[in-house]
Amino acid sequence: MIFNIKEQNEGMLATVSGRLDTPASVKAQQEIEPLLQNADKVITLDCGDLEYISSSGLRLFLTIRKEASAKGGKVIIKNINDEIKKVFMMTGFFNLFEIVTE
Amino acid sequence: MKPVEASLTLPNDIETVPQLSEFVETFCEERMVDMSITLSLNLAIEEAVVNVMSYAYPAGTYGEVLVKAIADDKVLTFIISDNGIPFDPTAKADVDTSLSAEDRPIGGLGIHLVKQIMDSVDYQYTDGRNVLTLKKIIHP
Repeated sequence: MIFNIKEQNEGMLATVSGRLDTPASVKAQQEIEPLLQNADKVITLDCGDLEYISSSGLRLFLTIRKEASAKGGKVIIKNINDEIKKVFMMTGFFNLFEIVTE
Repeated sequence: MKPVEASLTLPNDIETVPQLSEFVETFCEERMVDMSITLSLNLAIEEAVVNVMSYAYPAGTYGEVLVKAIADDKVLTFIISDNGIPFDPTAKADVDTSLSAEDRPIGGLGIHLVKQIMDSVDYQYTDGRNVLTLKKIIHP
């Protein structure tokens, strides 16, 4: 499991951990279903333990983000490491999400 | 230093991506490449290889992708080749990273990352093979 999802006060919290390489991202497509269903709420993705992300992983993030804007929710990304931050910069993803560091 | 070479052949099955990461990481570690560069090289090469695995061969047919790594004092070169359908990934239009989430297409990020990470990306179709050559300068 890459996305561990639980409900919290104002929405959904997903702890994202491990490596989101291509095969892992394909499997994780199922895992993000509950987030897509609750995309009218605030979705927090805690990426503190996310080590690696490929374009297929980025696509999952974008899918969640698109669903949130369609349903009126929002997506907050927490604790991304410097390497993943670089990938977010290179792809312009940095501007698509609300990114917070604790 | 004499150039060092290593190679890896993988089937067109994305489940083998972890083997590819291990190959790239080992090759870079042995050359004492900076950790942060190693991570981005790993990403660029995964994107290029997955692209071949996904599109070079008709769905359901077996094919292979060959990854050759060459290191000299200054440059790391990765040559990714296959004998599938001729396809130039570099010909794809650049991703517009300024678009809003609503307007961003879901695809095209892979080759975009390859171009961003590598110092040169060159595609050739020679002797029935797609050959993509990726270079990264490590010591200018």
